[in-house]
Amino acid sequence: METSQKDSLQQHKVLVANRGEIAIRIMRACRKLGVAFTAIFTAEDAASGHVRYARENGGERSLFRVSSYHDANELMSVADQAGCTAVHPGYGFFAEDFRFARRVTKRDRKMIFIGPSWKIIRELGDKINTKRLARSLDVPTVPGSDRPIYDEMEAERIARSVFEFQVQQGIKRPLVLVKASAGGGGMGIEEVYDIDMFRQVYRRIRNYAMRQFKDEGVLIEQRITDFNHLEVQIVSDRSGTNPVHFGTRNCSIQSTGLQKRLEVAPGFVPDEMDYTFDARKVLDDIVHYSLTMARKVGYDNVGTWEWIVTRDGSPFLMEVNTRIQVENGVSARIARVKGRDDVDLLAEQIRIGLGEPLGYSQQDVRFEGVGVEYRLIAEDPENRFTPWSGRIEHFSWKPQPWLTMLTHVPTDEPYEIPTEFDPNLALAIIWGRDLAEVRERGRSFLRDLTLTGVNKAGEPLKSNIAFLRDNTDRILKF
Amino acid sequence: MDNTIEKRIQSLNDRLTYIRDIFAGKHQQDVGLLQERLSAFAARAAEGAMRDPFAELASIEDLFAYVEKRLDETLTPMDKVRIVRHPQRICLRDILENVYDNFTEVGGQDEHSLDPGMLIARAVITRRRGKKTYVQSVMVIGQEKGHGADFRNGGSVKPWGNAKAQEYMRVAETEGIPIHCYIFTPGSYPVEDYPGAAQQIARNIYRMAGLRVPVISVISEGGSGGAEAIGLSDKRLMLSHGYYSVISPEGAAAIEGRLKAGQRATPELIEHCASCQKITAQDNLRFGYIDQIVQEPHLGARPWHFDFFRQLRQEVIRATDEVIISTRLMPVLKGIAVRRRRRPDVDMDEMHIRWGLTGPAKDRLVERRQQKYLKLSRTACRDRRPFLTKAAKAAANVVLAPYNRFKYDVYRRHQRKLEVMCEEIGNELTLFKQRMLAPWHRLTKRLPGGKTRNADDAAKELTALSTWTGDARRRKWNYISPRYKIDRTITCPNAAQYGCLDLWGPDLFAEFAGVCSYCGYHFPMEPEWYVRNVFDQGSVYEFNSEIEAGNPLSFPGFDEKLAEARRKTGCKSGCMTFEARIDDIKIVVAMLMGTFRGGSVGAAEGQKFVEAAELAMKKHYPFLAYVHGTAGIRIQEGTHGVIQMPRCTVAVRRYIESGGLYMVLYDTNSFAGPVASFLGCSPYQFAVRSSNIGFAGPRVIKETTGVDIPPKYHRSYRALSRGHIQGIWDRPQIRANLKQALLTMGGRNLYYR
Amino acid sequence: MLDVSALLEAIKASPYREIEILAPHTGRVNFAGAQEGGSVMGPHGIWKEKHGTLLATLDRERNPKPIYAPEKGELRLLHSDLEGRFVEAGTPLAVIRHFLTREEVQSAILKKTLHLFNAPERAKYYFIPEVDKKVRASGSQAVTVREGMELFIMSRMKREVPLAYAGPEGVIYAVYFKHTENLDAGQPLIGVCPPDQLSAIQEVLLRVQTEWTEQE
Repeated sequence: METSQKDSLQQHKVLVANRGEIAIRIMRACRKLGVAFTAIFTAEDAASGHVRYARENGGERSLFRVSSYHDANELMSVADQAGCTAVHPGYGFFAEDFRFARRVTKRDRKMIFIGPSWKIIRELGDKINTKRLARSLDVPTVPGSDRPIYDEMEAERIARSVFEFQVQQGIKRPLVLVKASAGGGGMGIEEVYDIDMFRQVYRRIRNYAMRQFKDEGVLIEQRITDFNHLEVQIVSDRSGTNPVHFGTRNCSIQSTGLQKRLEVAPGFVPDEMDYTFDARKVLDDIVHYSLTMARKVGYDNVGTWEWIVTRDGSPFLMEVNTRIQVENGVSARIARVKGRDDVDLLAEQIRIGLGEPLGYSQQDVRFEGVGVEYRLIAEDPENRFTPWSGRIEHFSWKPQPWLTMLTHVPTDEPYEIPTEFDPNLALAIIWGRDLAEVRERGRSFLRDLTLTGVNKAGEPLKSNIAFLRDNTDRILKF
Repeated sequence: MDNTIEKRIQSLNDRLTYIRDIFAGKHQQDVGLLQERLSAFAARAAEGAMRDPFAELASIEDLFAYVEKRLDETLTPMDKVRIVRHPQRICLRDILENVYDNFTEVGGQDEHSLDPGMLIARAVITRRRGKKTYVQSVMVIGQEKGHGADFRNGGSVKPWGNAKAQEYMRVAETEGIPIHCYIFTPGSYPVEDYPGAAQQIARNIYRMAGLRVPVISVISEGGSGGAEAIGLSDKRLMLSHGYYSVISPEGAAAIEGRLKAGQRATPELIEHCASCQKITAQDNLRFGYIDQIVQEPHLGARPWHFDFFRQLRQEVIRATDEVIISTRLMPVLKGIAVRRRRRPDVDMDEMHIRWGLTGPAKDRLVERRQQKYLKLSRTACRDRRPFLTKAAKAAANVVLAPYNRFKYDVYRRHQRKLEVMCEEIGNELTLFKQRMLAPWHRLTKRLPGGKTRNADDAAKELTALSTWTGDARRRKWNYISPRYKIDRTITCPNAAQYGCLDLWGPDLFAEFAGVCSYCGYHFPMEPEWYVRNVFDQGSVYEFNSEIEAGNPLSFPGFDEKLAEARRKTGCKSGCMTFEARIDDIKIVVAMLMGTFRGGSVGAAEGQKFVEAAELAMKKHYPFLAYVHGTAGIRIQEGTHGVIQMPRCTVAVRRYIESGGLYMVLYDTNSFAGPVASFLGCSPYQFAVRSSNIGFAGPRVIKETTGVDIPPKYHRSYRALSRGHIQGIWDRPQIRANLKQALLTMGGRNLYYR
Repeated sequence: MLDVSALLEAIKASPYREIEILAPHTGRVNFAGAQEGGSVMGPHGIWKEKHGTLLATLDRERNPKPIYAPEKGELRLLHSDLEGRFVEAGTPLAVIRHFLTREEVQSAILKKTLHLFNAPERAKYYFIPEVDKKVRASGSQAVTVREGMELFIMSRMKREVPLAYAGPEGVIYAVYFKHTENLDAGQPLIGVCPPDQLSAIQEVLLRVQTEWTEQE
C-alpha cells in the first residue's frame, strides 16, 4: 500500500512557482515525498537560497530563469519544457488566483494545481460570497451588509442601524466601515465615526470604486477595533468530504501596516492564562464553524479560516485564505499525527494535492505544547516598519532541538536583499512545552542570533529583532 | 502677326493640350492630326505667308470642333474624371460671373479665407415680366477649384470650410432665400482637426435635411462625402461631363487591388473601376439620384463656352421655380406652371415667380425633400420579404398610425395630467390625515415595546443573510467569443507602453470580455457578443432580415464576395435591425457589423436602417445605432451607397424631430460615409474604449493629402477631446451605461416615458 | 564650463555602442534571416512608428512574438546555434554594434552638463501623477522643479514612498528612468537645467549638431 502510493507520487513533477523560503520548503517536501520538481528564478533573485537548493538537489531540467514570477505564461512555458505535471504556487503570487488555477487545469496540456480547485478559490476568494456563505450556515460575520449597496438612501439606513447596533452593544465609540465591495488589500476603505459624515464618505468611496473597479457597489460594516486575530488551519483531501483541522493560531502581533510579525499556536491557552471570556469555547466554536464551511464547499486542500475575536469573546469570520500560509509551520510544530511529531503541512498539501487520500481523521491529530514563529525582517520598526535594503554580511544562529529555521538567505556568503519582493529574511519556529518555556526559548534564540549588514550609504542593517523580543512577553495575552 | 490670330492660336493650343490631357494617350491619330495642322498653320502665320489667315483659321477651328464632337462620343467614365479635374474645366467663379447678374463673395476673398476651397457668395438674378424687373437673391455655396490655383486645394474642403458653408445655409434660411450649391470636389480634406471632417459633414447633411428654403445643387465633380456636405437638395442637376461617385477611381482600384501603402494601381485597373462604379451623369439619372442633366459642349464646358453658361442659368432658375411651385397646394395650377417652364422655347428670364415661401409652404418643402430621399435606392437591394409581409406592413402603417397617435399623443398626455392631479390630492390627504391622527401618535409613541422589537429586526438585518438580486450578481456572460476555446496567449498591442503581460486566450475572450486586464485595451469582439450580453436575455427580436445586400451595379466579382460574407457570418447584410429590451426599457437597435464586408453600408443596410428609424418613430421607442464597425460606404455599390448618407440622415432627422432619443455607440473602427452622416449627426454619440473614429484611414490621408498621420490619430479619445463623441465606455459596462444613458436622457419628450 | 571639444573627441574615439539583444522571456527561438555582419534598422518613421528589422521570433504558449532591432547598426553576432531551441529569459540572442546618433551624443554630453538628481536607493521610480500627466502631455521640459518639491514615487519592497527633489531650480531637461525598470542607488533619474544655464546648454547641443556626423 505504502509503496504503490509512493510510486504514483513519483510519476509527478512539481513546478515550484515561487521563490525564497517557501520555494525551499516546497522543494524539501517534494524530496521527502520522492516527487521531482522544477524551480524558477529571475535575474534579480539569482543569489536566493532557493536557486542554490534547486541546483544542488534538483535533477535534470530543474531550474529555469524566467522574466518574472508574476508572468503566468513563463510558468506554463517552463512547466511544459520541464515536463511538470503539477504546479505549487506557494503563497503570494498565484496562490489565490483562481484564473491561474483554472488555466493550469484547463489548458491543453493539463496539470494539477496544488491548492483547492479553482472554483473553490473563486468562491471563497470573493469577500461578499464568503460572507453570504457563512451567513447561510449561521456562521457569525461582521455586522453590516452582505451584498454591495448601490443606493445612497439604503446605504445611509444601513449605516445608521450599524451605529445603533453598536450603541446597544455598549460600544462607546461606534465606528462604521465603508468599503468598495470590489476592492481589496486595504484600498478604498474609510471609517466613519459620525453618521452626519456618512454621505460624504459614501460618495467618495463610491466614486473611487467606480474609477478603480468600474463598480459602484459599497459594503457597510461595523468597524471592530479591539480584537485578537485568530486562524484555523484546515486540511482536506481531494474527496472534499472529510476536512481535518490542525488547530488554531494567534496572529495578533503585527506591524503598523497590519502585517504579521509573530504567530503563536494555539490561538489561546485557557489552561495557562485568564481570559475575560470562555476562551476554550471560542476556540471550539471557530474550529467548528470553519469545518462546517469547509464541508459545505467541499474544500479539497489546505486552507486557513481567519477570525477576529472581540474582547467579549465574540468571533467573526473575516476571510478564508485558500492557500498554504507562511505560518503553517507553527501549527505543524505543535501537532502530532498518530503520535508522530514530524508533521509537515507542505508535504501533506502536495500529497493530497496530487490525489492521495489524507489517511487519517481528526481523532488521529493531537496537539502538544506551544509554538512561536518569528518573522525576521530587515526593517525599522521604530519608523513605520520601513524596509531596509542592502547587503547582509553575517547571518547565523545557534542550532537547537526546539528550533526550526527556514530561510533562503545564505549563511556562508553575503547576500544582497532584492528590492522586488516581500522583505522576509527568515522564519524561526520555536517550540516549548508551555507558554513559559516557549517564551524563554524564544528570548534565548533572539539573543544568540547574529544578523548584520550594511547598505550603500554605509548604514548598518536594521532589523525587527528587538521588536520581536519585546513582543515575546505579550504573546497570547488578549 | 495679328494679335487676334495669335490669341486664337493660343486658344486652339489650349484646346489641343486639353484633348491630349483628358484622353491620356488615347486617340493619338486625332491628336497628331490636329497638332500637325495647327503647327503648320502657326508656322505659316508667323511667316505672314497667308492670304486669308482668318478663313484658314476658321477651317482649323471647324476641324477642331469636328474632332471634338467625334471624340465626345468615345468618352469613357475615366475620361470624364480627367475632364472635371482639368485646370481648364469651368470653375465656380466662372459660373458666378457668367450665370448670375451680380455677386458679392462673403466667405472670404481668394487666399484670405477660412478655407479658400469653399466659396460662398450672395448673388442676384434679374428677371423681367413685361416692363417690370425683379431682382432675386440667392446664396451660392460651392467648392472652388480655381484653374489650378494651389491655395484652393483642388476643391478639397477642410472641416472648417464645410462649417462655413453650414453657417451660410443658416443665414439663407433666416433670410428666406434659395440656396444654389455647386459641387466641384474630389472629396473632403480628411483631417480630423476641429470640427473634424466626418463630424462636420454629418452636421451639414443633418442641417440640409431640414433647411426651410429651396436648395438646388449642381454636380460637376461629386466626390463622395465632400459632395454630400453641400449636396442634399430639392433638385439635383448634374453636368453631362461630370462624375458623382463614392470614391475616386484610384481609391477604388487601391481597395480592389488590395494595394499596400506606396503601391500604385495600374491605369487599366483604374479605368476598369471607373467604369464599373457607374459614375457618369447618365448612370446617376437612370438610378434617380439626380433629377436632370445639363448638357455640356463637346468634351466638357470650359470658360469660353458662353452658350453653356446661358443654358445653365436657365436650368438653375427653372429648377428653383419648380421647387417653389411644388410647394403649392393646387395640383392643377402646379401642373400648368411646371409645364409652362418646360416648354423648349421658354426664356426663364422673362418669367417670374416669388422665391419666398409661407410657413406652411416651407413645411411642405421640407416634407417633400425628405420623402424624396426616403424613396431613393429602394430597388438597389434584394428585398426577399414575402409579398404578404410587405403588404401587411403597408396596411399596418395605415391602420396603426391613428392608433399610435391616440396611444401616445392623446392618451398619454391626459394620463399624465390625471396623475399629477391625483398626486396633488394625495399630498393634501396625507397632510390632513397626519393632523387628525397627531394626538394618537403622540400617545402611542410613549408606550413601551414598539422600540425593542425594531432593534431586534435591525440586528437581524445586519447579521443574517439578505436577499440579493440584480445585474451586479450576474457573473457569467450570456455569450462568449468562440476564440476562448484556443489554448494560446495573446500579446496586448499596448504591451510595450504599459508592460502588459501576455493574456491567456481562454481568459481574455471569455471572462475578460476581450479587455486587457492590465491596461484596459479592448480587443474586438463578435457582434453577437453585444446582442447577447447588452440586452435582456431573450428580448432580441430581429426584423427585416430578408433584406439582402445585392450587387446593383453588377460589379464584377462582387457576387462571389457577397456570397462569401454571407457564408462566413450567416447574415444577409452588414446591418442587423432588432427590437430589444434593456432592463425592460424597449428600444430599437440598428447594428452595423464589421464582420460583414467590413461593415460597409450599401442600399440594403441603408434600407434596414431607415426602416428601423421609422419603426422606432412609430412605436415611440429610443433608437440605438450600435456600430460594431464600419469601413464606410460600400464602394461596389457606387452612388447606391453614397445616397444612403443623406437618405439615412433624413430618416434620423425625422425620428429626432418627432421627439425620439437617438444614440450612437461606436466600437472597433468606424470610418467615412456613415460616420460623416447618419451616425455623426446624433447628439449623443459614445464609443467603446480602444475604438477608432474618423473620416479616412491613415493610408487614404497619406495618399490624398501627402501628410503623414501620427499613430493613434483616430483614437476615440481624440474624438472625445474634439467634441465629436460624448463619452467612452468600457465594454463590460456597456449595458449599465446604456441603461443609465436611457434613464438620464429620457426626459419627458423622449418616447419611452 | 565643460570642455565640449574634449568630450566630443573622446566619444569620437569610440563612436559605437554594443547592444546585446536578450530573450525577453522564455520560449522557442527562430531567427528571422538577418545575417551576421549585415546591417539592421532601428525603429523609424516620423514617430518611430515603424519597427526595426525583425531579428527573431520567440514562441511561448503558441504566441510567436517578434523581436526587433532596437537601434540601427551592424549585426555583429547572432547566436544562431539557438535556432529552434528553448531559451530561458535573458539568454543572449544577438549583438548589434550601433553607431551613436546625434541625439545620443547630445544626451551623453548633456548628462555631464546638467545637474543630475540621482536615485537614493535601488528601486523603481516614477513621477507623481500630476507631474506624470504634464510630462506625458507636453514633455518633461514643461516641468520646473525646485528644492523640496515632491517629484517621484519610489517603489520598492512593495512599498511606495514619495521622494522630494533636491538641487537647483530648473526645468527637467532629460529623463533617465523607465517606470518598469529597477534603478540602482546613485544612477541618475533626471537631468535638470537651471534657467541661467539654458543658453549654454543650447550652445552645447548646437555644437554637437554641427560637429557630429552620423554614419550609416
